[in-house]
Amino acid sequence: MVTPIVMPKFGQMTEDSAIVEWLKKEGDPVAKGDVLFLVETDKSVMEVESFSEGTLLKIVVGVGVSVPVQSVVAYLGEKGEKVPVAAPSRPALSSTPSAPVAVPPLRGGAPVAAAALPVSPPPPPAAAQAPVSATPARFRISPRAATLAKESVIDPRAIAGSGPDGRIVEKDVKAHLAANDYAGLRVSPAAKSLAAKEGLDLLALRADIAGKRIEIADVERAIAEKPAPLSKMRQVIAQRLAHSVVTAPHFYVTVEVDMGGALAHRARLNAAGARFTVTDFVAQASVLALKEFPTVNSSTDGKAVRWHSRVHLGVAVNLEQGLVVPVIRDAGEMTLAELSQRAKALFDKARAGGLAPDEMSGSTFSISNMGMLDVENFTAIINPGESAILAVSSTVKKPVVRDDAIVVRPIMKLTLSSDHRQIDGATAAHFVNSIKTKLEDDALWSALTS
Amino acid sequence: MVRAHGAGLRRGKNDKMTTEPRTYLSDMRPRFDPFVIECGKIPAYSYHNDLRGELNSGAINAAEALAILEDMLVIREFEEMIVKLRSGAYDPIRDYNYRGPTHVSVGQEGTAVGACAALRIADNITSTHRGHGESLAKGTVALRAMSEETLRARVPGCRANSREELLQAALEQHVYRTIGELFGKDDGYCRGRGGSMHIADFSVGHLGANAIVGGGVPIATGAALASRYFGDGGVVCCFAGDGAYANGVVLESLNFAAQAQFTNHYANGRPFGLPIVFLVCNNHYGMTGRADDEVSGVSRLAQRAVGFADNRMHAEIVNGMNVLAVRDAMLRGAELCREGKGPVLIEADCYRYWGHSLSDPRNEYRTKEEEAAWKAVDPIETYKKELVAAGVLDAEGIEAVTRRVAERNASAARRAADAADPDVKDVLAFMYTDTKSETVPPQFAKVETYEPTPESKRVNGEITYKDALREALAEEMTRDNRVVFYGEDVADYGGAFKVTKGLLETFGRQRVFNTPISEACICGTACGAAMRGLRPVVELMYFDFALMSSDQISNQAAKWHYMSGAQTEVPLVIRASAGGGKGYGGQHSQTLESIFCHMPGLYVIYPSTPADAKGLLKSAIRDNNPVLFIESQLLYGMKGPVPEGEHLIPLGVADVKREGSDLTFVSWGPVVHDCLAAAERLAAERGVSAEVIDLRSLVPLDIETVVRSVQKTGRCVVASAAVHIGSFTGEIASTVQQLAFDYLDAPVLRVGAKNGIAPQSHVLEQAFLPSVDDLVAAASSIL
Repeated sequence: MVTPIVMPKFGQMTEDSAIVEWLKKEGDPVAKGDVLFLVETDKSVMEVESFSEGTLLKIVVGVGVSVPVQSVVAYLGEKGEKVPVAAPSRPALSSTPSAPVAVPPLRGGAPVAAAALPVSPPPPPAAAQAPVSATPARFRISPRAATLAKESVIDPRAIAGSGPDGRIVEKDVKAHLAANDYAGLRVSPAAKSLAAKEGLDLLALRADIAGKRIEIADVERAIAEKPAPLSKMRQVIAQRLAHSVVTAPHFYVTVEVDMGGALAHRARLNAAGARFTVTDFVAQASVLALKEFPTVNSSTDGKAVRWHSRVHLGVAVNLEQGLVVPVIRDAGEMTLAELSQRAKALFDKARAGGLAPDEMSGSTFSISNMGMLDVENFTAIINPGESAILAVSSTVKKPVVRDDAIVVRPIMKLTLSSDHRQIDGATAAHFVNSIKTKLEDDALWSALTS
Repeated sequence: MVRAHGAGLRRGKNDKMTTEPRTYLSDMRPRFDPFVIECGKIPAYSYHNDLRGELNSGAINAAEALAILEDMLVIREFEEMIVKLRSGAYDPIRDYNYRGPTHVSVGQEGTAVGACAALRIADNITSTHRGHGESLAKGTVALRAMSEETLRARVPGCRANSREELLQAALEQHVYRTIGELFGKDDGYCRGRGGSMHIADFSVGHLGANAIVGGGVPIATGAALASRYFGDGGVVCCFAGDGAYANGVVLESLNFAAQAQFTNHYANGRPFGLPIVFLVCNNHYGMTGRADDEVSGVSRLAQRAVGFADNRMHAEIVNGMNVLAVRDAMLRGAELCREGKGPVLIEADCYRYWGHSLSDPRNEYRTKEEEAAWKAVDPIETYKKELVAAGVLDAEGIEAVTRRVAERNASAARRAADAADPDVKDVLAFMYTDTKSETVPPQFAKVETYEPTPESKRVNGEITYKDALREALAEEMTRDNRVVFYGEDVADYGGAFKVTKGLLETFGRQRVFNTPISEACICGTACGAAMRGLRPVVELMYFDFALMSSDQISNQAAKWHYMSGAQTEVPLVIRASAGGGKGYGGQHSQTLESIFCHMPGLYVIYPSTPADAKGLLKSAIRDNNPVLFIESQLLYGMKGPVPEGEHLIPLGVADVKREGSDLTFVSWGPVVHDCLAAAERLAAERGVSAEVIDLRSLVPLDIETVVRSVQKTGRCVVASAAVHIGSFTGEIASTVQQLAFDYLDAPVLRVGAKNGIAPQSHVLEQAFLPSVDDLVAAASSIL
């Protein structure tokens, strides 16, 4: 029996996903549990396993094409079985990878671009639809103008179109070429053909080298500098953090923490074979403080407040590909040891790229620790859905005044970023000082680590 | 001017004319004195002879008598092969998967063989979807009459020593090529293009079976028209079933064949009735409907003849189960035809043992008792008894013939099953012929004229579109006497638009004559006449009426070159006059060329200027493909320079009517002039230089000229007067975007009439038709 394999729906909000790699080829035998392909969701790369066994008959959706979840991506069955001729799924936004979770893609207005899929007949127009001639708003260029631009090895996107609906027509390209003295352009044939292959603009290249003859080396340099599409993960980061900065008015409160006591406890514990990090201590102190300041453990969209009765602690982890924030669920219910173990497990998983979507969402407060990176102080951007984030800097030995005497102490700066829609200055100050107090409370750590 | 007076219901004597009078003026008077029309008598089953009697009178010899049995057995064996093939029971080719129709004619062998036995090689037949028997019989009878030399040519490589051996080989080859055609093989008579229902063998005068019930009847009538014209003594036997005799075009054909003008004073000293025998093969079931007392109102179909000819077409009813009775009637009918006393109608009363096809169980509409009663008078078994009684053959002899036929058919079947399929690369071979009438054979170049050809008055070398058309026709009729011209009101009156005024006076009524208002028959007879060597030009008064004859244009004329495997060409021109813009409403204003462009096999031509009208019509008449030649009524009065004398414009070559660099208008017919006007306005108002291409010929289509132009201009507007939906403009636009996509600076636009019906109201019609404003607006929207 032929079984369709569909694109899983990884998160509640996921609408489109793209396959980054097929681990099975058409014709390969597949056992139950074999990994068929990898999918890049907005948060990580997921392995998709087979639920049944058989032969991979046909791959319908290739690598790099974003398709709606639940779309058929392949067929599994007995060797030699006929695959149904199904209309392929609608490819979504293939020119750029699909929209991030936090911002649902604009349906209706979004153009459906051609992709490396077999062409399916377009759906019949809805009865009430406007005349067929109305193409969706997009970059418009006539085939003739496009051909001229391509032959001239220039990028037509900068050209203003004078045709109907602003379409760039041949005369616009000609005018652009004339206005930019295209006739005076000097380029080596090899450079021109390489530039054409790479889709570069000869006029831009010339401007870059002050009007000199364009040689192959210039093209190669330009290729290296050519903008590449952001990875899906970076796009999510970009979307979410930009959204946060624009919608949440940030303000910052910084305190200095004397880490002497805490570090002594940590050294003692580590000497005994346990492995605690500074982050564990900061996390524990934060969790305790959050219980005292429910305002900070809440969030707002500017209209309503969401109070969170539990603490789900996000802890930012820097990976090669970018930042991920694993979430320690119910951190408020954990002992320091449990907190530490959970954090370590999540970090390891994150480094291996194996976090599940639910392990990366739902945090109510976050910590970002750059202590190991030798920073004096920094500010962090609040994760959407939270009201504050704590930036943890390096612990540095500093001369400080204690009992009117200058002494050298290990000092760590904590900067709290707060969403002023929800948190006022005093609250932030009290909260961050509550963390500071806890971190410096020798008795507390004795109790917690005994 | 000689005038003959003959009008009213009861026409007087035939005026004998030895020279051609040109026109007759009707001079009838009202006559209302009471009288009674006598319809006369139609004899039925009047044959009282038998084989012994026929032999004794010398009407048949022993060899002919034996051949009749053998020919019937060939058919019976052939049809039973088809029945058995369906269940894998035909031993010689048990595993062969025959996937064609199974319209077998078991039971009707007496009619097929009896009729064909009375025909000569050169006589023609047309047949039906149940025509295996007739096709086989026309061939076997013809083969027996052929010279040794002709036979040898039919069986290439045959090493037979005696004529008898050669004949046996030729008979097997005939069955082989017939089975081969059913099996779709390259050695089939139609090279696998026709199959069971379209089989034809033009070399023995078989003009084709026909899968359109009644579709072959006007073709047969047209073939008889050609026989009459050539005076070659040929007779046409038109086989058609009882079902067909309810079909419009069949009744039109009876009327066409029986026209008084072929035999009365209009015939001008050459009275000759159409030499055609309409043989009604009344097997009593039109598929399953009964002519007898269900779907017709006459008790016997022979009565149809009464309605079409005062002489009742010599109609009679014969026992179709008695091969000798059919042969006797057919001999007499053919003789009447050869004497110029046709047409003749014979109803052969026969029976179809099987159902319409093998999927018809028969028990839903008739009884087993009925079948048994007819099988009891089986034509073959009956005839065997006659042979024995007459002492021609004994039981052993019959056994030997039966075995010989079975073995010969089996051998042919085995060869056919193993024969090569046609090469798939030739799927479109034979669609069109590339031949034309380059030179006229001497016997056809001799043309009799009675008055000088009508003169076109040239002013500064200019004549009208209408004059140009007449000039073309007159020149071609002068060049080649095979060119004949007919249609409604085209003779004395010169056509509804006076395009052909004067041609009757010049060429006489043998070549220029009026027809009944019977468009299907006009086109269908032209198709049959063209198959028989005439080069007819016929007129459809309004293009709208082409729909009346759409079967004859699209299923017959367009298809026969291909379906016959290029055995025949159909050199005919159908002139269709397109209205529009005159307030004539929905049924007289249509531009329908798009429909006919969709019919492969047909050329479609539409000139827009007087010079093109002349040059294209002359080329169309000389071309050996069927041509639908469309004329615009709006342009009939248009003047333009037209070369005198020989002026040919090749079909399939577009013309750049105006050169330009910014935009290409592609059009045809009267809209070309709107495009030219739009181009002038665009130049004056916007400084735009528009090129105007007149396709002139839609099929074949000169897309290269269009693509070259679009490559230059980057913009294209395709325009015609046809309603937008399904217009051929879409075909052009789609082809242009396919072939010149990278050169397009804007989408290809189409301009046509609205998706509606031509209204009567002048203001509505103006709004309905495409205008210069529409063209300018379309062009402006993409500039």
